Amino acid sequence: MGMRTLKHLLAAVAASLSLTAYAADMPLGVSPGGDPYAGAVARTVGAVLEYSHWPQPRSQMILCVAGNAQHASQIGNQRLSDGRQVMRRNVAAQPSALAGCDVVYIGSIPLAAQRQLTGAVRGRGVLTIAENDPGSSSEAMFALTYKPGGLSFRLNIDAVSRSGLRVDPRVLRVAKSGG
Amino acid sequence: MLLSRVHLQLIVFAVVLATASLMLSGAMVIRNYMGTNLRLAADTVAYSAEPAMVFQDQQAMDEAIAAIAGYPSVDRVELRDAAGHVLSVWNRPHSDARGWLVSHLNQLVWPQPTRAVVKHSEAPIGEVLVYGNSGGILRFIVAALLIAASCIGLSILGTRILARHLQQGVIGPLEQVARIAHEVRQQRAFEKRVPAAGIAEIDRFGQDFNALLAELQAWHTGMMSENAELKARARHDELTGLGNRSLFESTAQQAIASGQTLALILIDVAGFKALNASHGFESGDAALIAVAQRLNTVLRGDDAAFRIGGDEFAVLLVPAPESSGVEAAIDWIRVAMDDAVRLPDGAEVRIELGIGQASCPQDGTTIGELLTKADPAMLPASR
Repeated sequence: MGMRTLKHLLAAVAASLSLTAYAADMPLGVSPGGDPYAGAVARTVGAVLEYSHWPQPRSQMILCVAGNAQHASQIGNQRLSDGRQVMRRNVAAQPSALAGCDVVYIGSIPLAAQRQLTGAVRGRGVLTIAENDPGSSSEAMFALTYKPGGLSFRLNIDAVSRSGLRVDPRVLRVAKSGG
Repeated sequence: MLLSRVHLQLIVFAVVLATASLMLSGAMVIRNYMGTNLRLAADTVAYSAEPAMVFQDQQAMDEAIAAIAGYPSVDRVELRDAAGHVLSVWNRPHSDARGWLVSHLNQLVWPQPTRAVVKHSEAPIGEVLVYGNSGGILRFIVAALLIAASCIGLSILGTRILARHLQQGVIGPLEQVARIAHEVRQQRAFEKRVPAAGIAEIDRFGQDFNALLAELQAWHTGMMSENAELKARARHDELTGLGNRSLFESTAQQAIASGQTLALILIDVAGFKALNASHGFESGDAALIAVAQRLNTVLRGDDAAFRIGGDEFAVLLVPAPESSGVEAAIDWIRVAMDDAVRLPDGAEVRIELGIGQASCPQDGTTIGELLTKADPAMLPASR
């Protein structure tokens, strides 16, 4: 498949340049409660999981929300469209608390703490999503960005390539650079 | 030119047939190829637009569709969600002039868009509709028509050249033969010959024709000379070579009829029977030949001598001179006879002539009257 090869090539080029790709906006939609981003965050996290593949396929995944999260209120126990079951677990923002996590949603914690968490799971087949990383320096695979009209995400290709996971290269198209 | 026209019709028919079948099969091949292309384009869009739809990313959807803008066989792409709402559209830009034709042709060639279902985790989440662009087929048809037209043009040129060659090589020479045959028939121009045409078969024909002409010419010449000889023989005396009585009469008649004056001098050889009897017929003949020769020596250009009977000669002076002139001529004749003639048997004799004369119109206006008047036997004085 030429398109896929092209995507891999693009990913490799982007990684070598250590660039961060930017996603377009996920429409916010209607959110009950005070947080306008909560629904979009939940949908985006679900979609990211759907396009990510673990070396050993699993039917159930544990999503750990690490530290104090501001927009994770609607992330809950959910079933992905491919049938995988996602279980939410709130954990402390400490590397020792991440055992058993397949996905780590990093809450709004200091940057150093974020890096500590991402460093702890690097190469172990754990998907990392940073909620509050405007400078893209947490080294999380995905970093959510917020705009008045919508939610977008950036893709740290370097982190993706080191994660031990396979992210569908088509996500790169969605997470286009220059956002 | 029938040949040229038939050639041309044949070639035009062949070119049109070949072009039509090639165009049809070519257009079908292109259409199949483009159908595969459209299927591929639809599948590509469905594949690459899937994450964009999942993430509800409008820009990514637009880009996924625009990525196949390079496919020349694609005219329009629609991306619809599961409910059938159009999420994104791409249209091939068309110039107005060609756009009308192409869009109608598109309707004809691709009445239905090619569809591909966008699936996410095996569940349909939308649909891609790809409408075909027939610009390629149109270009192919136009190119085929141009090629066919130029083929026909070249064929016309070739046919003209071929026809000219045929004209020069075959028909021209045949016409030449026909013309020469006509001239030969009309003008008896047997000396005409067909020139070489440069084509072996035609040349062989021409040579045979020429040989036939040569035979005809020889035959004709022979006939003419034989006729002339027969005619001469019919009007001349074989022994002396002078004109005979028939020629004398026609010559005199001609002169009388044309209103000319003429003087007739009639001569007979005196004692001719006695000469024959005493020296033999050969001697008589020799004497007659001698008389003829001597008459010839004394005649002026227009005067003529004839042998009109056994020993009778006639001299016609046309037009008639003065009577003194006639007398002078008679004197000349007598003088010419002065020398003795040597006969075959060795004897030498002097020939005596009886000479009478008559003039037209004074002495008569018919040959009979003139002959009677001039008969030396009627002139006792000359005896």
